Amino acid sequence: MADTFISTRPDTNTSETVPEGQTAKTQIVIKNLSVTYKDDGTRGVTAALQDVNLEIRKGEFISLVGPSGCGKTTLLRVIADLIPSTAGDVFISGLTPREARLEKRFGIVFQNPVLMDWRTIRRNVCLPLELLKMPKPLRTKKVTEMLDLVGLQEFGHHYPCELSGGMQQRVGIARALAIDPKILLMDEPFSALDEFTKEKLHEDLLRIWRQTNKTVVFVTHNIQEAVFLSDRVVVFSPHPGRVTSVVNITLPRPRTAGMKNTVDFTELVAKVRSGFVGV
Amino acid sequence: MQREMKKPVWEKIAASPRTVTVVWVIGLVLVWEAGAFAVEAVKRTPENVLPHLYQILASVFSTKKVTASQTAVQIVIINACVTLGRAGIGFVIGAAAGYVLALCMRLSGAVEKTVFPYLMLVQMIPILGMAPIVLAVTRDIDKSRVIIAAILTFYPVAVNTLAGFKSIEKEKFELFHSYAATTPQIYVKMMIPASVPYLFTGLKISAPMAVTASILVDTLQGGGGLGCMLSQSLKHAMSIYVFWQIVFFSAFVGILSYYGIVLLERIVSPGRRNQTRNAGGAK
Amino acid sequence: MKKIHITNDSVKTVLYPLVFGIILVVLWQTQVLHRLLGADTFTLPLPSRIGSIIADNFGVIMLNVKATVFVALSGLLLGSLFGFILAAIAALSPHWGMGGLTIATAFNAVPIVAVAPIFTNLTKDFSSDPNVRSMFAKTLVVMITCTVSMGINAYRGFTELKPFSLDLMKSYAAGKWTAFFKLRLPNCVPYIFTALRISVPGCVISAMVSEYFAEYIVGVGRQIRESIVLAQYSTAWAYIVVACLVGVGMYVILLFFEHLLLKGRRIK
Repeated sequence: MADTFISTRPDTNTSETVPEGQTAKTQIVIKNLSVTYKDDGTRGVTAALQDVNLEIRKGEFISLVGPSGCGKTTLLRVIADLIPSTAGDVFISGLTPREARLEKRFGIVFQNPVLMDWRTIRRNVCLPLELLKMPKPLRTKKVTEMLDLVGLQEFGHHYPCELSGGMQQRVGIARALAIDPKILLMDEPFSALDEFTKEKLHEDLLRIWRQTNKTVVFVTHNIQEAVFLSDRVVVFSPHPGRVTSVVNITLPRPRTAGMKNTVDFTELVAKVRSGFVGV
Repeated sequence: MQREMKKPVWEKIAASPRTVTVVWVIGLVLVWEAGAFAVEAVKRTPENVLPHLYQILASVFSTKKVTASQTAVQIVIINACVTLGRAGIGFVIGAAAGYVLALCMRLSGAVEKTVFPYLMLVQMIPILGMAPIVLAVTRDIDKSRVIIAAILTFYPVAVNTLAGFKSIEKEKFELFHSYAATTPQIYVKMMIPASVPYLFTGLKISAPMAVTASILVDTLQGGGGLGCMLSQSLKHAMSIYVFWQIVFFSAFVGILSYYGIVLLERIVSPGRRNQTRNAGGAK
Repeated sequence: MKKIHITNDSVKTVLYPLVFGIILVVLWQTQVLHRLLGADTFTLPLPSRIGSIIADNFGVIMLNVKATVFVALSGLLLGSLFGFILAAIAALSPHWGMGGLTIATAFNAVPIVAVAPIFTNLTKDFSSDPNVRSMFAKTLVVMITCTVSMGINAYRGFTELKPFSLDLMKSYAAGKWTAFFKLRLPNCVPYIFTALRISVPGCVISAMVSEYFAEYIVGVGRQIRESIVLAQYSTAWAYIVVACLVGVGMYVILLFFEHLLLKGRRIK
């Protein structure tokens, strides 16, 4: 029953035409994307993003790194259809961001967990499934599955105010994955947490990613975090916001905490760092 | 090094916050009694001005009839039910109206722009002072009681609920947007539950006010109710102790109504702890 | 002065309520409102009639307005001052001071209707002039609301400090009193205005209600009552309109001072 329900959405690999010049494995195509803001009151125009070109492969873990104001969050939000682009195109499996959103292709994790504090943990994870009008027995099964995935099985009937920051963020991840999206968009999800919690969540995130094979677009300002987690790191620089470098992370998988002490790791971090311009 | 482990018992008692309140209450009682004695020495009928507290207490338990058929306590209780019943109805109507208005203002920018200054105006004008005119227009004491209680409840509920809607974090909207939720879904599943604490803030402010309003309207005309008994007692149509009992009773009810709402909130929103929000209030 | 940016939106903000208000007045004058509410022009006079009564009796009306405003303002000032001092005491010696503040809050729970007659009776001997006696009693009643409102908010202003600001003061070896004047007092100013936003309309209401129970017949609130008792509804409405204007006027003055003194700081 569960399978028939989910497969009412078209499968990426078979039912859509793949745009010319791209391999079947490309999932997100960003072409000449620009986003400009008109400032209210003054006659100024801010270029949040200028002429970005990027291709993201299916099942890839890609990080967008840069200081504040360099456009990385803007790019994520354009993909998520939270802000409109001013010029250029974004295609997610051939669909525009709006179409992809309406087809529920995304799971978003924000910097703060954005949990509904009047709902229990279970009901928070259940929320997107309710919006999807999934029948109740399926919902219950899916919620249990998600809570198991993030390791919060015993906390189903607690309220968000009873959980720590790290646990709340795990609920956020569980909720984002509940609708089985093809793409997980994460906007600095761990910046508000302490170092120890962060390390644990890195491990958990990589485990979940391996198990579920999602494409992950991860925004962060922490270079080490980006290098540790990703297959590729896209470096953004500000004024105007643009992509100045893309670094392939050649570290072997599965990643372990010990790798952070290796020379390879340090070199990659330096390579990413040198990709910034004007910072 | 062994530290001193036990403080003397009396030190602990002195330090507790309960003691402070008890001391203050005792202090007040003493001041009252001193006043009562002072008044007794000067006046012929001191109980009209400031009776002793024990005298008031005695009148509660006495079975002497103060009117043709009822003791003081009976009068207070029967009329209290009348007054509070009407206050309650007005409270519920006002709260519902206030909430619906806040909802409409959130739904439609045009409605918000039109209504907002008038909402501000309602706060600035002395509604309680207009009680007599409401009575005159409606010519029905029951209806006017309900109407005034409703108006007084309406403003704090509307303003606080509106503040609640405005304070919902942007990311919640973005979350629902990413799930392509429909507008009714957004309202029912997110905005209305999120506004509940603010609704309760408004209710906490307006509960005592609704009671006050109901009593005030009583005083304007006959027809039963605490305020009516209050003014009759003042005019010596019955024992002055009815007046004093009503004074204490109404204070008690005012405080109780506030805590009643607090209790209701605990029942309705079990997941929220220790949250105070302030958007405005009025007596 | 920044240039005011006139947008479509801000025009609508002013226009919509204005149009709504005008429509309301028109409905009133043309008696459509009466039909809707089931009222008659006797108990709900036409705006034109109200206007003419105000114009004709301006002197008397102003006399009453002065009485009400005097009571309201003196109650406001004295009550707020008293509340402020109570809050300061509570902030400086929290252990015992809090009790005082709690008791004051309890007083607030007693409805005006009960408090007003008590004070009227208590102050019967204050002076041989009934007008002065009544003023005193009324002022006391108004003071209660203002004391509580200012007390609670000023206390919050003294104690809700940004984290570590007290520690900062300690690191400069500043004493309790220095910390009070240089940290707590300036922090308190927005909260004072929060309190005033409640007590300014509140003091007008309290003044009007306390007039009902006072000995001496003066004041806007009392006149409303008296006019209704005598079935002079137009006069009553005239006083109501005046009362609204007083309430609005005082609030606007408050907002003006707030804007002046709180430049850039936010209301709490």
